[in-house]
Amino acid sequence: MGPVVKKTKAATEVTIAGLKFKNPVMTASGTFGYGAEFAPYMDLGRLGGIVVKGLSLYPRQGNPGPRIAETPCGMLNAIGLQNVGVDDFIERKLPLVRNAGTHIIANIFGETVEDYMEVARRLDGAEGVSALEVNISCPNVKKGGIVFGTDPQEAFKVVSAVRKSTSLPVITKLSPNVTDIKVMVRAAEDGGTDAVSLINTITGMVIDVERRRPVLATATGGLSGPAIRPIAVRMVWQAAQAASVPVIGMGGIMSARDALEFIIAGATAVQVGTASFIEPDAAVKVAEGLEEYLSKNETTVQDLIGSLRTA
Amino acid sequence: MEIKAEIIHNDSMAKGYFKLGLACAVPEVRPGQFVMLRVSDGLDPLLRRPFGIYRTLGQTRGRTLGTRGSSSKSKGIEVLYRVVGKGTAILSGKRPGETLGVLGPLGNGFPDRAEGSNPVLVAGGMGIAPLYLLARRLGEGTLLFGARSKAETFLLKDFRGLGLKIKTATEDGSAGIKGLVTGLLENELTPESIVYACGPVGMLKAAAAISGKAGARCLVSLERSMACGIGVCLGCAVRAKAHKEEKENRFYKMVCSDGPVFPGEEIDWDLL
Repeated sequence: MGPVVKKTKAATEVTIAGLKFKNPVMTASGTFGYGAEFAPYMDLGRLGGIVVKGLSLYPRQGNPGPRIAETPCGMLNAIGLQNVGVDDFIERKLPLVRNAGTHIIANIFGETVEDYMEVARRLDGAEGVSALEVNISCPNVKKGGIVFGTDPQEAFKVVSAVRKSTSLPVITKLSPNVTDIKVMVRAAEDGGTDAVSLINTITGMVIDVERRRPVLATATGGLSGPAIRPIAVRMVWQAAQAASVPVIGMGGIMSARDALEFIIAGATAVQVGTASFIEPDAAVKVAEGLEEYLSKNETTVQDLIGSLRTA
Repeated sequence: MEIKAEIIHNDSMAKGYFKLGLACAVPEVRPGQFVMLRVSDGLDPLLRRPFGIYRTLGQTRGRTLGTRGSSSKSKGIEVLYRVVGKGTAILSGKRPGETLGVLGPLGNGFPDRAEGSNPVLVAGGMGIAPLYLLARRLGEGTLLFGARSKAETFLLKDFRGLGLKIKTATEDGSAGIKGLVTGLLENELTPESIVYACGPVGMLKAAAAISGKAGARCLVSLERSMACGIGVCLGCAVRAKAHKEEKENRFYKMVCSDGPVFPGEEIDWDLL
């Protein structure tokens, strides 16, 4: 690869909260492990960023099985946020990827505002973490199970608490399971977020008709994959109109064209999720396809962001 | 690791049963490993499906396959499958010359046998497929095969002549003894036995219990829905018995990356 790559490299560059990304393609939390698992399948340095599996203050075992079910053009999951915990991540997982040549973004969650703050604090000094992505789709156990991500006041509280607990850029990952996404965008912005990312999975359910039982042990789960993409594009478009911070779009991205839909709708960057389960190097292929598109059309990501024509 | 493999053959073995040969140079395959196959390039069905590797193709007959440390490459692999849903129905319509995406070999296969042990293989129906390479490597011991009826005994054909004693149990009594394969197991075991089992969960649970009672080691190969096959989606979790020192950190094991072969006593069969 010669000078063409050099030219397109600049064309793919984006900046979010002062962080320069060589390309706008990251991997979505929960679909890429802690990063190192994918090193045998690709050059991790080809990615704009890696968002690692959601981290909690203490390790979590996750839900009983069955945890996944295939659905038309998608899948339902109820993993239950199984993870090694923030300390083990810093000690054993982060060293494996901190020199991979890409941004490592730590996705964090908790069951109380204090949990979020403590996880954020522990990651603040960790060498190799570029930013935090705050998953607000968890129930607040102290507040009787209200989901942080569906109540704007709760969202504001958790985002501002994390904001005060870290010097790292803060990305807030929004849930699509709300009536008006713009309200949630504003709540996160009021809390001091540097960017928002969306959409997380959509609540869904599959029933085994013969047994008359839910397929998942937890009855309901989160739907992902190309089945949800049109919903995701719509919500990213709405969020981008309301947001003054950058928007990171995701939801069923399988190809560069899919990524372009999100960028044109207003996303500064995208995340590839479920696709990585099917093709481990799916995100790299999306980045390469994007480079090809930009070079062919002599344009840049920057020029395409929010370039949707509606008139 | 991700390979586009050409289909060499996709032959019906019996009604609804197929033998699929794929041309792909895979590194050493250990008995009990699996591959993830993408049956369609489209979006529905979306996910790859796991299939146990039946055998490797293109190597001299009689050569030791899948031995640890061997760097021999085979020209291809073979998997057996039964049409049970959308994915396998699509797969059964594939013709030689078409290509399939193959990811693998994946998972930890069966561990090497302890010296002096007496191997007993227990297979339930299609659960026999991941035991072929193992049977071939062992070249001795006993294979206990359980099926619904005589109609499934064609699955034993390739196992004859490998040096294992074969005993059959069918639910309707049309071949071998009438009853469950685990009934045969009780009479086969000594404390020196090592049991390798693959089949329905009920059979595996019983095999683990019977082996435990006889003081024999039992290794089970589990099956679970999985999205990735490489230990990241965490979808194929099975409940493992917690060790005291582990506290509650690790109740779950992943069939794809921790298995698919597990010591029977590690699995919490009641909460599986």
